[in-house]
Amino acid sequence: MFEISGVVLLQSIVNGLVLGWIYVLMALGMSLILSITNILQFSHGEVYMLGAYVAYYFAVVLGLNFFVSILISVMLMAALGLVLERVFFRPLRAEFLSSMIVALGLMIILQSSVTIGFGINPKAIPSFAPGSVGILGTRIGSDRIIAAGISIALTLLLFLFLKKSKYGLALTAAPQHREACILQGISPDRMSALAMAIGSALAAVGGALMGATLVLNTFMGSTALLKGLIIIVLGGMGSLLGVVVGGIILGLVDGVVLVVFGPVPASIAPLLLVVVILVIRPMGLFGHEF
Amino acid sequence: MLAKTPIKEVKGMDMRGTPVLQVVDLTKYFGGLGAVVDLDLNVHQGEISGLIGPNGAGKTTVLNMIAGTLSPTNGSLIFKGEDITNLPPHRMAKKGIARVFQSNTLFGNVSVITNVRVGLHLHTNIGFWGAFLASSYTHNREKLLHEEAMEILGFVGLSDQRDQLAINLPHGSQRTLCLAVAMAVKPSLLLLDEPLTGMNAEEVNVMISLIKALRDERGITSIIVEHNMRAVMGLCNRIAVLNYGSKIAEGTPTEISENSAVIEAYLGTEQDVA
Amino acid sequence: MSSRGNPINTVVILVFILFLLLVPAFLKSNYWLHVLSIVGINVILAASVHTIWCTGELSLGTAGFMAMGGYGSALLAMRAGISVWAAMPLGGLLCAIVAVALGYPFMRAKGIYFSILTLLTGEIFRLTAWYYRSLTGGPVGLSHIPSPEPINIPGIAPITFDSKITYYYLIVVAALLSLFVLFRLQRSQVGFTWRIIRERDNLAASVGINVLWYKISAFAIGCFFAGIAGALFAHFMHLLAADASGKFGMFTSIYILIYMVVGGEKKFAGPIIGAVSLTLLPEVFRPMQEYRPIIFGALVIFMIFFMPQGIVDIPHSVLSWGRKMVGR
Repeated sequence: MFEISGVVLLQSIVNGLVLGWIYVLMALGMSLILSITNILQFSHGEVYMLGAYVAYYFAVVLGLNFFVSILISVMLMAALGLVLERVFFRPLRAEFLSSMIVALGLMIILQSSVTIGFGINPKAIPSFAPGSVGILGTRIGSDRIIAAGISIALTLLLFLFLKKSKYGLALTAAPQHREACILQGISPDRMSALAMAIGSALAAVGGALMGATLVLNTFMGSTALLKGLIIIVLGGMGSLLGVVVGGIILGLVDGVVLVVFGPVPASIAPLLLVVVILVIRPMGLFGHEF
Repeated sequence: MLAKTPIKEVKGMDMRGTPVLQVVDLTKYFGGLGAVVDLDLNVHQGEISGLIGPNGAGKTTVLNMIAGTLSPTNGSLIFKGEDITNLPPHRMAKKGIARVFQSNTLFGNVSVITNVRVGLHLHTNIGFWGAFLASSYTHNREKLLHEEAMEILGFVGLSDQRDQLAINLPHGSQRTLCLAVAMAVKPSLLLLDEPLTGMNAEEVNVMISLIKALRDERGITSIIVEHNMRAVMGLCNRIAVLNYGSKIAEGTPTEISENSAVIEAYLGTEQDVA
Repeated sequence: MSSRGNPINTVVILVFILFLLLVPAFLKSNYWLHVLSIVGINVILAASVHTIWCTGELSLGTAGFMAMGGYGSALLAMRAGISVWAAMPLGGLLCAIVAVALGYPFMRAKGIYFSILTLLTGEIFRLTAWYYRSLTGGPVGLSHIPSPEPINIPGIAPITFDSKITYYYLIVVAALLSLFVLFRLQRSQVGFTWRIIRERDNLAASVGINVLWYKISAFAIGCFFAGIAGALFAHFMHLLAADASGKFGMFTSIYILIYMVVGGEKKFAGPIIGAVSLTLLPEVFRPMQEYRPIIFGALVIFMIFFMPQGIVDIPHSVLSWGRKMVGR
């Protein structure tokens, strides 16, 4: 165990960080939706998976350009998000338990639909950027670097949107100021819809990127959901900066534990970390008291 | 950033003995924001002590700390000579501090009398294991609880509504019920967080006379946070004024109404004076 | 609560119990006895989640505690030489102790954080079971888990628990016992305090109720019964394997939650009815194996929208609809 060279460790860490950004996209969407609608979107993982499979369909089955496929997937998933919000979540807005169960029901339906439609064998989207790049003495697949780059760019774009645009500010406004937003003509309905659309779009990108850099399988949604939960719980609900930091921490932990202890502890370690951190700080790393 | 106005000295130190509640250097920071800073306050037995100030001055935070909902960042709370600084709310209740929350906080889906009875359990507590082994109280105990609850309801004037669901009561009656539930804890100190909000003139008078009666008939000391200035002036023996988390004045209602720092703090904010 | 002491309820329950006891007489199929045994286990699980829900907290880690109870009991019986009859309650006790230990830190987290924590904890248990080969046999798991030792009744042949029939009766008895205990608990002063806490925990604290202690007690009791269910499962299947997802994963915990809500979370009978119907329902759709989850998910959503009070509310809805029709 102590024979691991620094290079291998570094390689794993960089890999973990790069892949971690994809999960940050998931977490950003979940956090946004959670803070607006107060619903823990259990079906979000399946939107991510569906986004991946749709991109796969267009890119591999239909042979379209990968980035075009992502775009199509994004639009379709954003539309799906809007439909889900309008049909399933808006009527249940006040009901915590009911909306959670509906989200779980949707999760089950979406997951089995994809399994039936595409089969249980794992799939992959051929790499859109073959070859690898050298960073700090490690070699990272170029596609992963680009994927990380896209994720980082989207994260920044989201931050800009939330800080600068009228709708963005409304979305991040604390609940006390919601009335002010309503007076400005931005209805809570529209905010929920917007949050779902943005979140689903981000998830679609994440899924597609994951499919291209790693693999597509039928439980990638549950995995992404758990990672997303870990990140937003680490970072504290409602704090987008916290999501980013949480994602970085997750990537680091994944990378380190994977190399030092193996794949199964690598799944356990982030969960343990979350539990430990929440015990020390019940509101998450960046959360607020109360 | 905030101009700290010097605390006005109260004319003629009073000799009323050891206070029921001593608040010493009480401080609460949320992150970098000082919600309450170095608050000193003494509340004596049988007083109705007012805590006023513009919105966001930290009044509810102070109440939260006294009630145990929040832990102070610094400072201490001494109740009847005992340090209670970091006790949780249920221990505060056991010590004799009861609280009426800002909004109508009640057990909405049970009856009025059941609400009061829940509060009564504190002093007739048979503990967790007793409760587990006995699926209901003995007949005598039942009767006693019922009588005590009815007595409290009679005091606040809700006897007739005893079987109504709490959530069905009109706003003013709900407020009164909150008071009744707090009374059930048999407190020596009562914390009232904006008890008069949303009440019409008649209901305000009823509540004021209830609070006074609690003091006169049962010797209960009260701390009241309120925005209704006329009520505060008429009800309180002493008033402390907070602004931006610090005490800027303290004294009798007359002194406070003449205090320039207080008037300045309220100018420019929409405070109801009537 | 309004039907407390209602004689009709008592009669219904007695008839139902009689029915349960007579089932093996006209249902010779081992397969169906197996299914019904699983129903019994699910009933205990659903009731355990419901107990925790009485305080307003949602536990999503039931499957993890089920695993802990199962592995605990199996290991005690197989490695420590303890009688299965003692090992099973001890497995439950282990879960209760862990729940108390976790409860203190977990309960400080706000409502939904707590649920997420339980979900993650369940995953940690499952993954740990999968990983620690030396303890739990890893993915291959523990096999040849013994059945409970035979009971000797003087004058009659000893009752062994190797067959589906006797184990079915064991589960029926265990389930009825568990439900009885949980029912009495929920109806007691403790249960009342739990529901008071769920209604308004800040007010409860301010009138002197030790909210943390009551919430932890509900959590511990719920997890105890989840562990019992797991132990019953282990000695029934004679095999425990924490596979990649499946039995002890997130989905199981979610299904149990669904049993509770679809059955009706406002009444004690709700989770029971939910567990029974939703465990039996997939059997109806066995021919369409692949589509079962979709049907299940759709049904769940349908119920939430059109029958939010749950299946248990159907008689009441039918009655009030009937009254409306008659024009009363």
